[in-house]
Amino acid sequence: MSAPRILLRGLMAAALVLPLALAGCGGNDDSSSSGKTELTFFWWGGEARAKLTQQALDLYTSKHPDVTFKTTWQANQGYFDKLATLTAGDGAPDIFQIDDNYLAEYATRNVTEDLTKYKDSGKLDVTKFPESLWKYGVVDNKLAGMAMGENTQGLVYNKTKIEAAKQAAPTTGMTWDAFIAWAVKAGPAAKTAGTMDPSADYKAFWVWLRQNGKQFYNGNQLGFTKEDVQKWFELWKGARDAKATPTADVIHEGNATDITKQLVVTGKALTSWVWANQMPDIQKNTKDTLGVVAYPGDPSAQWARASMYFSVYRGSKHKDAAVDVLNFLANDPDAGKILGTDRGLPSNLDIRKTVSATTTDPAMKASIALEDELVSKFGPAPSVPPKGHATVKTELIKAAEAAQFGTADPAKAAEQFFTAAQAAISR
Amino acid sequence: MAVGTRPTSHRPQSGPAAVQRRGRSARDRGDGRAGYVFLTPWLLGLMAVTAIPMLMSLYLSFTNYDILTPWSDVEWIGLKNYQRMFTADPAYWHAVKVTLVFAFIATPLKLGSALGVALLLNRSFRGSGLFRGLFYLPSLLGGSVALAMVWHSLFDRGGSVNAVLGWFGIEGKAWVNDPSTALGTLILLAVWQFGAPMVIFLAGLKQVPNELYEAAEVDGAGSFRKFLSVTLPMLSPVIFFNLVLETIHGFQGFTSAFVLSGGTGGPVDSTLMYTLYLYIRGFANYEMGYASAMAWVFLITIGLVTAVLFRTGRFWVHYSDGDD
Repeated sequence: MSAPRILLRGLMAAALVLPLALAGCGGNDDSSSSGKTELTFFWWGGEARAKLTQQALDLYTSKHPDVTFKTTWQANQGYFDKLATLTAGDGAPDIFQIDDNYLAEYATRNVTEDLTKYKDSGKLDVTKFPESLWKYGVVDNKLAGMAMGENTQGLVYNKTKIEAAKQAAPTTGMTWDAFIAWAVKAGPAAKTAGTMDPSADYKAFWVWLRQNGKQFYNGNQLGFTKEDVQKWFELWKGARDAKATPTADVIHEGNATDITKQLVVTGKALTSWVWANQMPDIQKNTKDTLGVVAYPGDPSAQWARASMYFSVYRGSKHKDAAVDVLNFLANDPDAGKILGTDRGLPSNLDIRKTVSATTTDPAMKASIALEDELVSKFGPAPSVPPKGHATVKTELIKAAEAAQFGTADPAKAAEQFFTAAQAAISR
Repeated sequence: MAVGTRPTSHRPQSGPAAVQRRGRSARDRGDGRAGYVFLTPWLLGLMAVTAIPMLMSLYLSFTNYDILTPWSDVEWIGLKNYQRMFTADPAYWHAVKVTLVFAFIATPLKLGSALGVALLLNRSFRGSGLFRGLFYLPSLLGGSVALAMVWHSLFDRGGSVNAVLGWFGIEGKAWVNDPSTALGTLILLAVWQFGAPMVIFLAGLKQVPNELYEAAEVDGAGSFRKFLSVTLPMLSPVIFFNLVLETIHGFQGFTSAFVLSGGTGGPVDSTLMYTLYLYIRGFANYEMGYASAMAWVFLITIGLVTAVLFRTGRFWVHYSDGDD
């Protein structure tokens, strides 16, 4: 055999072995040997959140000098791509932030550690949480994540513009028809559209469904029919025809998940459909003063939702330490003070009380006021959306936009969404 | 740029040359060994980041791999991914259509603009260098995210394009947000980035010997006739090179569609390019096995299109042997 061929064979073998060898170096289990533990921690959010989280973790390290953190954070866009890629390479962070769009995806594939035993032993103390809130982290009878804050649906409106146009502000409990009639009148008076068209917005559709005795999901099934979707699309076709909403191209902008593109921020509508804890972020992006009320219809259809969770990676080598950190972030009064309401209202009701009493941000105050007002009315929380929910959300946007641009009538768009949604969750 | 000249000197010839080769084989082997040693880093890279991942993706295309599940648990599902793609996924065929429309409109327009501007810039005049640089600039910025964002704001409702249209009393719309025009703005963006093929055309034009033009003039050819009978045939290898490259490029359009639609292919799937759809399947829907199957069909399709181009190239690409 010639020398090059031997060499080539050696190289090929090396190329095959090298990745394996490198992978072998990756997992460093240093907790046992030196007593030091480094936890990796990954979340999405802005700079403000990064600063607060880092402060809270520093506080933990000062109390437990043997535990340090390696933190990574980034914007929402691309976060789940990266998390999935890290998981695929068996390199998921020990602790990561997740929300109910993806919790079931990760939990049903056993990426998240089942925290039930920690909850039962009291190492993860959820006794001060509202019961429905920590239960909103349960998937297939396993506690897949710890709720790190609470929020609910909120209709945010532009107080400044509405007052300048001498119009009444929307109120909690007004009917859908009354709301659309309000938008038809208030919009032109304020020289803009009255409301963002939320037909592509799953949370608005969800609240509306609950008011009509249905659900978005019943376990791993859709909780509504094709006819329900059609009615929903027709409701908003009527609103568009009556000029309660902007034109389809402007609505499309507002369908982006990016909070800065919300029409109430860009001044293209008087109201937008958001989560109430997003108020401070939205307020930051506009000079006008904003207010927030519940979605139209009976507010008891709304529920206390876990705005996001922290989960522990099942393959983590430091699960006990990671759970202790979660417990600290949720239940330590000082950590609670630092984190404030950045991830939603604190889950621990005692901490929520102190934080609510001391907050000075008017936008956050408005969001807390809404939550306080609704807390006695909240209906039971639905179960966490099943696997495939993220796809269902984009399919709803696609179908609703087809109806908005007139490429399909509400009946056809409804059928298209229903079929696609069913395929997405039964995969 | 060695386009347009074909090496003629190193062709294996008949008997004596073969003998000569055998005579030099010991030294050849030594050279070869050194060559492989120098190639080692590259070979390792090729293995680790190209060959092995490609083989893995081929394997995954026959599984239901979803990224989150460990490798050991993936299930072999045979040709199901391919079957689903071709028979049970209307969005797939929609993405194919969008990509074909994009590639077959954007590529000729882009090449036409590149050739036209190259002809204009081929003569020397004051500041011709500056103009060449300016026209090349957009393609330097290439597939950049920033450029796509600029494009988005230009063609948005309150953007400059509508302002200019407003001078003529035309009422604009949000071109990027309307399903009937969104793909058009993407095509326009692609055409605008004609700088790279333009530079190659310029290099090709410089290689056309002046004697041919002089001879054509003596024969009484006008400038259009000269273009048809001298420039185009002499330039055909360069045109061919650009055509192949830009066609492949056109099929791969991703960044602009991704940025302009916020990663969704919207509004109403109007900008759902093949690669974008592949990305959505893999990373948003966690169907990496399916995405891998899509990638392999894509690779084979591009290979076929390129092969067809090479076939047709025989009939119109003119290689002038031996000149420099």
